[in-house]
Amino acid sequence: MTDRHCKQIFATLSEYLDAQLPEKNCRELELHLKGCRPCIAYLESLRTTVEACRRYKAPRTPALSKQVKAALLAALQRSHRSQ
Amino acid sequence: MNSQVEQALANLKSGNPEDVEQALETLQEVVYGFGMKVCGVREDAEDTAQETLIRLARQLKEFPDARALAVWLYKVAKTQCLMSRRKSKFAPAQMLSLDALMPRESGAAVPAVKSWEVTPEEIVLNKELRSKLKDAVLALPKPYRLVLILRDMEQLDTREVAEVMGISEETTKMRLHRARVFLRNALAGYVRRAEMPEVRAHD
Repeated sequence: MTDRHCKQIFATLSEYLDAQLPEKNCRELELHLKGCRPCIAYLESLRTTVEACRRYKAPRTPALSKQVKAALLAALQRSHRSQ
Repeated sequence: MNSQVEQALANLKSGNPEDVEQALETLQEVVYGFGMKVCGVREDAEDTAQETLIRLARQLKEFPDARALAVWLYKVAKTQCLMSRRKSKFAPAQMLSLDALMPRESGAAVPAVKSWEVTPEEIVLNKELRSKLKDAVLALPKPYRLVLILRDMEQLDTREVAEVMGISEETTKMRLHRARVFLRNALAGYVRRAEMPEVRAHD
């Protein structure tokens, strides 16, 4: 993935994955991909990276303390009353 | 848009105590999760969630819809994370150059394309990959880390991420691409499938 065209394509891969690439650039990219296996492989690996991020979940959330919950509920009640 | 936020706003506005409590738990989960991904430190994530929810409780009537609430929540949580007192061991400040991140045929810092041979459908986040992904996200400079987390993990759209970050959509896209490439390169070698044909760096 070193020639000039690959470099241009490389810069647009995320927009392509997100379907945000303008149609003309999209056609150019797809034409390039037909003849460039390294770019296809890189695009797929980037797609897999995005999928891994989507599946990533943070550790389990600890419960709110009773005091914090009570303070929040009281503040919300005040907020409701003032509406 | 985060559907959890949508449901939570409806529950909050209902005024029903059980629904309100459920909404608080949901929003705490959203903000705590975001805080953990950004800060990587449990205490910071807890502080972020608590402070954000307290401010929300005072300002509830200001949110006309779930989109406004989601953008506000992430904006406040982001600011809390940036002010966190406990510095994680990963706190680089440098900018990412796309040129430096691009794979090369030889003498590259970036692993060869052939080390990555699994499709998005096949990826399994096992313990090792989860840990590697978490470390790679925390190794991202914060401006990139925040954009990546908001877009690819919290699944906000580009416009919402730009609003939360206070940057243009173009800058959002630029940061997102660099962050994704950084992560992709960091994860190479951890995601394999032996039966796939080998793809050479350049034919």
